[in-house]
Amino acid sequence: MESGKQGIPPLRKNPVMLSGLNHFVPYLIRSSGSTFAPMIEIEDLSLTYGDRRALDGISFSVPAGAVTGFIGENGAGKTSTFRVLTTWLLPDPETQRVIVDGVDLLSDPQTACTRVGVLPEQLALPGELRVAEFLRFRSGIKNVPSRQARAEVSRVLEAVNASDMEQRRIDTLSQGYRQRIGLADALLGDPPVLLLDEPTRGLDPRQISQFRALLDELRGNHTLLLSSHVLGEVEQLCDRICVISKGKIQLEEDRESWTHRLGKAGRWQLELAPSADAKKVTDWLNQLPEVQSVNRDRHHWSIQSDAALGLRIGEKALEEGWVIMELRSEPATLESLFLEWTGSDSVAPVSGGEES
Amino acid sequence: MNRTLILLRRELLSTFVSPVSWIILVLFLLVMGANMYISIVAVGGDLRQLLSSAYGGLVFWFMFLVIPPLVTMRSLAEEHRQGALEVLMVTGISDASVVIAKWAASSIFYFTLWLCLLPLWGVLSLVGEVEPGLLFTTYSGIFFIGSAFCANGILASALTAHPLAAAGLSFTFNIALFMVHFFSNLFRPGEIELLWIEHVSAIHHMVDELTRGILDLRVPVFWFTLILFSLFLATRVLERRRWA
Repeated sequence: MESGKQGIPPLRKNPVMLSGLNHFVPYLIRSSGSTFAPMIEIEDLSLTYGDRRALDGISFSVPAGAVTGFIGENGAGKTSTFRVLTTWLLPDPETQRVIVDGVDLLSDPQTACTRVGVLPEQLALPGELRVAEFLRFRSGIKNVPSRQARAEVSRVLEAVNASDMEQRRIDTLSQGYRQRIGLADALLGDPPVLLLDEPTRGLDPRQISQFRALLDELRGNHTLLLSSHVLGEVEQLCDRICVISKGKIQLEEDRESWTHRLGKAGRWQLELAPSADAKKVTDWLNQLPEVQSVNRDRHHWSIQSDAALGLRIGEKALEEGWVIMELRSEPATLESLFLEWTGSDSVAPVSGGEES
Repeated sequence: MNRTLILLRRELLSTFVSPVSWIILVLFLLVMGANMYISIVAVGGDLRQLLSSAYGGLVFWFMFLVIPPLVTMRSLAEEHRQGALEVLMVTGISDASVVIAKWAASSIFYFTLWLCLLPLWGVLSLVGEVEPGLLFTTYSGIFFIGSAFCANGILASALTAHPLAAAGLSFTFNIALFMVHFFSNLFRPGEIELLWIEHVSAIHHMVDELTRGILDLRVPVFWFTLILFSLFLATRVLERRRWA
């Protein structure tokens, strides 16, 4: 969170810098590949639908060139945040600032929206048009000069590995290719920020794998904010995660921090034959320094520990004559952590590697 | 190229490759062709009478009032429901550009339907005398009033996310402009109250003036004002959607 404060100063407070920075900052950030300068900075963003508060003063930042997973349960505020970032919805007046690629979205939404490409959850493509017709229309709407439109369409189709689909009617494409065309549309005009809302939804396993590889190729050249319910996907693709729940940011941290948490949250499952003295086993497990907690259900123990306990338990069982029916390590997943983060109303500390 | 023109071109492309448009066109030509045949029989070959009979009767008004809601109902409502409108609007295109392009595309398609009837008049001119002036004023009326009905349709389509509801609402707007004429039965000729009804009555404009070769400047001024008003309201409705 703190890193967000070191980035590009709000341009409206530095009007002299406006013209120069608007042109050079994105290229400087993108060419250097730095993960320190934030590409998106949000401070106290609020959004209210009628009397329902969808976003309750959220603040977070997304470093340039990073892939950030934006996760939360349904109705948590992910799509609402995206809709503000694309300028489809105007935030509440008390919002402090929303900066995209150095452009203040609140004071200059027209420029800010050109810095963002979006692949929406609900992809509505005109089935009656050919892929090239659709993309040429979109490039015109996105103010790509008409002389460059043909080259730009070829570029984005190549980027999503769909060059051979150029003359196909959109309604004859598979879901996987439709999703690629949606991504190609988002890439038109080469926006530095890409917002991807449930990008692999509705795809079969092969298409999902191909689409993830595609997103991986975009890493570095674009700043990706990825909303997904598939936490395995987030774990695989993202450098950072931002957890939102009930319109509030619950957690914001990088891969290193959450990997550390996952290690700490690993479990062992142990089942012994009924001949073993359950109380003795529990007492022995509890006194091990590397064990965080032990839960027992008859002759089944669930042990929270990030250490390799297999050998220790095996040796002890041999020594005590316990018959092991099952012993397996169960590494923690982002999914289990997510349930922990969003399961209660308590708010986990934002940023840092501290345990919530 | 201007974004409005780019969007207009795409709308026209989508309209003319859509099978629904061609079905509307064929049905329209069948019904209006039959109407023309019946009118020729009714007026006994008097081409001057034929114009006001074919373009002033019940069938004409039915087609005139019903087709615009069908043409415009999907333009904003369906796109909003499917999410296509959001994808379009987040490119920075202005609300007014979207509204104008949608209205222009639907008006062009609607006017194309009526232009498809012109060859019938070409055939009739081989056997009788068709007055081009009368045809011009009649088609001007179809253009003014039809465009205003399309603008109402765009407004209705902006107000709701359901195409059928948009069609119903648009039809209600149009029928109100049609029915207002019947308020004239409440007044006697010469009464001042009758005048305002005549100024806003689609029936009065078409039947008593345009199909008779009279082109009063107040007629296009009224309908163009109505077009601007409807498009302005549609723009405001779109704008309001951004305020969650």
